Amino acid sequence: MGRVFDKIIIGAGLYGMYAALYCAKKGQQVLLLEYDEAPFQRATYINQARVHMGYHYPRSLSTAVKSAGYFRRFVEEFGFCIHSSFSQIYATSSRFSWTDRKQFESFCQAAGIRCEEVPASAYFREGMCDGAFLTEEYTYDAVLLRDFYVKELAARKNVQAVYGARIERICREGEAYRVDLGSGQSFAAGYILNASYASANQILQLAEGGFAPFDIKYELCEIILCRPSKRLEPVGITVMDGPFFSIMPFGRSGYHSLTSVTFTPHVTSYKKLPGFLCQRGVECSPDQLANCNTCPARPESAWQYMDHLARKYMREEYEYEYVSSLFSMKPILKSSEVDDSRPTRIRVDSEYPHFVSVLSGKINTVYDLEEFL
Amino acid sequence: MGNDGIQKILKRDGRESKFVSVVVYIRNDEESIRPFFDMVLPVMEENFETYEVICVNDCSADGSVEGLKDYFAETKGDGCRNMIQIIHMSGFQGVEASMNAGRDMAIGDFVYEFDDIRQDYPAGLVRQVYDRLLEGYDVVAAGRRGGGRLTSDLFYWLYNMTSHSGNRIGQETFRILSRRAVNRVMSVGKYIPYRKAIYMNCGLKTDTIHYKGAKRRDKKGSRRERTRLAVDSFIYFTDGMERLSLLLSCIFLLFTLGAALYIGGSVFSASKPVEGWLSTMGFLSLGFFGVFTLLTIILKYLSVMLNLIFKHQRYLVESVEKITG
Repeated sequence: MGRVFDKIIIGAGLYGMYAALYCAKKGQQVLLLEYDEAPFQRATYINQARVHMGYHYPRSLSTAVKSAGYFRRFVEEFGFCIHSSFSQIYATSSRFSWTDRKQFESFCQAAGIRCEEVPASAYFREGMCDGAFLTEEYTYDAVLLRDFYVKELAARKNVQAVYGARIERICREGEAYRVDLGSGQSFAAGYILNASYASANQILQLAEGGFAPFDIKYELCEIILCRPSKRLEPVGITVMDGPFFSIMPFGRSGYHSLTSVTFTPHVTSYKKLPGFLCQRGVECSPDQLANCNTCPARPESAWQYMDHLARKYMREEYEYEYVSSLFSMKPILKSSEVDDSRPTRIRVDSEYPHFVSVLSGKINTVYDLEEFL
Repeated sequence: MGNDGIQKILKRDGRESKFVSVVVYIRNDEESIRPFFDMVLPVMEENFETYEVICVNDCSADGSVEGLKDYFAETKGDGCRNMIQIIHMSGFQGVEASMNAGRDMAIGDFVYEFDDIRQDYPAGLVRQVYDRLLEGYDVVAAGRRGGGRLTSDLFYWLYNMTSHSGNRIGQETFRILSRRAVNRVMSVGKYIPYRKAIYMNCGLKTDTIHYKGAKRRDKKGSRRERTRLAVDSFIYFTDGMERLSLLLSCIFLLFTLGAALYIGGSVFSASKPVEGWLSTMGFLSLGFFGVFTLLTIILKYLSVMLNLIFKHQRYLVESVEKITG
């Protein structure tokens, strides 16, 4: 058996890094394993970068209230990577929306979150939105957040990180798990944290005896980065609640991210393990997802579609131009589809030795982890 | 660089860089799905760089939805090149409501609306209406000549006789709208009971390309819907009802005058009719005249109110031209 740690954490996204630092501060010996060559290469970086206040969940008050609670803490703790000086506008579409102006307003009141009505005509074409609201919601910069964690963890002797790790198997040995890597290295710990997000089921499958997979579907998602015009720069816009879009600042990068409910997901897999046609001929399989963003087989951009959707709603003066596309795999709990909630699911499959898996819902619910560490 | 606009539109391979939406009405059309899309998809592929297809399924009871899914599963290429969506209506709502939903969903620069997917026109007509649109129209319809029902011919004749506007309507199988027309229609009113009438009267330039259609059978269950739509449209878009009641009051006015003359004549003539006959007649005709006059006034009021609710915009502008030098 190789070196023994207190905890082995799989996945160097925010959840994995957060857990690593949290445990390191407690004096534990921590090993962080990551498939990619660097941290924050997938979902932590490739998403809307929204620090959720709860506005997104008018059909799930519980999710909204919880988001609002975590919002303050996250903004305080990670203030160095937060971009807050822009007007975040939420609007309800006149047509095809599950929620109208009044419902959204009373939902915000119930959730206790800020919501000031502004004239929809200031942002949207006539008749497109029945209500527009100035809200309080920020965006985080994944690059700054990454640099913070890399620096913090590097300064601690009790944390070791292995990038480019290829986990071959996870075997149980008494009160510990042994993790064998393709490189021939082996590590052991009495606690495994599976924080690999889209690869959660793949890791669960690698564990000896095999644990039940999460009931999820997989979506290959595209986030488009745009260069906003002067007019759009200080504004974030989200049209809801249905097949609409969002264009908002992407951290402090100076870009805006453009996403749409209909066009951001390119392909979907309903299998337990993510199987896609694009996996042919590349180093990626249902057993081990490679990085979609750097994949040679990544899909053609849906820019045309997202662009047309956004332009159909927004007034002409809010201009932007295409910069690049980012792709990542997103797992979605099937049970959360109707109310559109995005809960963070943490599951303990084994105790002594511990095998804990987390499927994150959004970035600021990372605190849910603490009671399990 | 006066040709800039055209340069931008025309792509190297001859395909237009425009984004086109194809909105299709589906109701119990299991058999027509394959031939229709076999015809229309190649036209889109050849002519446009990006397009989307929105199928509005109006509560089909047959295998239409499965047929659609199977068809697109077979033909769909790589991801986005052809984006297909199906809108499922909750309960049967008719072609007008369904197609309104489809058009509201569409994001294209141009929107094709196929009200009926049974094809009886040459495939080239699909491109032809687009070309005509580019000549400076905002709505171009493919109108069907012949093969229609007697009742619908009668409807269009009566409608065009009594309609408020100069643009005539007729049988249409499909049409194309510019984004400008779609925006205009959206701002005209929230509720659009009869698209054809709104499109033709939206204040923008419209045109119809006619073709000779074959005789075809009605779809099951569509008759009642059509009748209801016809009556509604008369009320919304024409002053037929107002005119009818005005005509009736005029008839009764004449009748009253006739009765008055008759009474006056009888008083001075030798032959006396039955006791009370004259006063009864006079009273009745005067009464009916009063009732119909009142009805005309009420109908006029109603139509004014209808206009207030229904037509938000008080005037419609086609375009603003700047005259220079």
